[in-house]
Amino acid sequence: MDALELCYMSAGDLSTLIRNKQVSPVEVIDAHLSRIEATEPTLNSFITLLPDHARDAARRAESQIQAGNYRGPLHGIPVGLKDLFNTAGVRTTSGSRILDNFVPSEDCTVATKFQQAGAILLGKLNMHQFAYGPTGENFDYGHMHNPWNPEMVTGGSSGGSGSAAAAGQCTITMGSDTGGSVRIPSALCGIVGLKPTYGLVSRAGLTPLSWCLDHPGPMVRTVVDAALAMNVIAGFDPNDRATTMRQLPDYTASLDGSVEGLRIGVVKEYFEAPLDAEVETAVRAALAKLSEMGAIITEVSFPMFFDSQAISGTILMSEAAAYHRDLLATDGDKFTPSVRLRLEAGLFVTAADYLKAQQARARFNYEMSRLYQEVDLLAGPSEPITAPPILASEVTIGDSSVGTTGALTQYTRPYNISGTPAISVPCGFSATGMPIGLQLAGRPFDEATVLRAAHAYEQNTEWHLKRPPI
Amino acid sequence: MPSENSLDRPAFDYLARAAGLDTDNPHMNELFPYVQNAMAANEGLKKIDTTGFEPDSAFDPAHFYQD
Repeated sequence: MDALELCYMSAGDLSTLIRNKQVSPVEVIDAHLSRIEATEPTLNSFITLLPDHARDAARRAESQIQAGNYRGPLHGIPVGLKDLFNTAGVRTTSGSRILDNFVPSEDCTVATKFQQAGAILLGKLNMHQFAYGPTGENFDYGHMHNPWNPEMVTGGSSGGSGSAAAAGQCTITMGSDTGGSVRIPSALCGIVGLKPTYGLVSRAGLTPLSWCLDHPGPMVRTVVDAALAMNVIAGFDPNDRATTMRQLPDYTASLDGSVEGLRIGVVKEYFEAPLDAEVETAVRAALAKLSEMGAIITEVSFPMFFDSQAISGTILMSEAAAYHRDLLATDGDKFTPSVRLRLEAGLFVTAADYLKAQQARARFNYEMSRLYQEVDLLAGPSEPITAPPILASEVTIGDSSVGTTGALTQYTRPYNISGTPAISVPCGFSATGMPIGLQLAGRPFDEATVLRAAHAYEQNTEWHLKRPPI
Repeated sequence: MPSENSLDRPAFDYLARAAGLDTDNPHMNELFPYVQNAMAANEGLKKIDTTGFEPDSAFDPAHFYQD
């Protein structure tokens, strides 16, 4: 089989070939390592590549499968982890040279679950330093580059996860999302990114940015692959007190349903915020498509959307500063200046303001819960813009110039405040060929409905079939 | 832009010292306007009516007691 086809194949399709012994995990890993070798000089998706480890694991997987010990749909599937997921014996930098020599002694829970499922770790993926930035710029390990146009950002903070999945370097990647860091690079790189409900995927063994806003989630090329990844990584973990003890569904089981009768609320305030005209056109076309497919599209109002920045900004700044305080004191000048500014600014937030933000978060979630009495999902753009140029501190939207960080997080951070599931799924391209994402968000722990709607939309469109020109 | 209620430099220096930052570092000249802007961006928080809403808390007195 053509090596490039193996690299762009979904985990669902690849697993069928591996299970039926039509393709060996060794062949799959070799194809991906070749793809990485060809594209990495342009993309810079990886901080640490693990070719020897991956080849050894592939040979083991091949032997296991030949012996009849097939472990399931992720057996032999190449994965990449954002470099803040601890991996035993493999350095984990969190995107900072300060941790260049940090080699964890234990795997994070997500890495353990992937390993138990037979997935093969290809390497550790580049990221915005300490996950504190939405662009995917990194001055320590080099900036990440968008596969659709390498002069543009990948988005962040899980930028390497976005570029690696979009360019066929990995089949499944993992990111973490505190204000949008799974969904932003997914939207800007033209892939699927799911931020699950808070407490559904363990944070144990991940470098925190904000304890109460961090959500690990899969970044993949198809919705089926997001469901397959969730089947492996979701669930209770005694090492993460936030994880749920609920009985969880098979996330692939819900995918065959239609959106007939599904009530989708379009938040009108999303369209009152700065929004690029091309993005708006693509998102409205996607909503029209969902309507044509049988969904009931209604407009809803959520005025507290405009409070998202103040609420999540206050919480994020405080918690990030608290976590990094000691390192700031000893190695402050080794941080990227913009990250250092963000972290140190958090030291000026008072305890009273932090608690006010937590109170406001409770009201925010109450108001959002009321919306879900009328609708099953909320919808809107994932991002107000397509990927901006690397190092652009401001972007132009319509007639106004806005800060890049604020723009990139404006539609994603509400769902970090609510802790509810949200997915970005490709819904179009700009005239310059840059991807656009549709965001669908659901009730807590109702990933099944989010995935079902995203999958139905995906299967009725062809955006996910396009490949970047790299 | 800094708001009318934003920190002045002496107050900033006082708080910076209290937070353990080196106020003699030239970096403080960058941090000062950054903090002013960040506080202005979050100022909307004060206007949110939170009457009747308690902050969510992860506190669990039984957390370290295993059955």
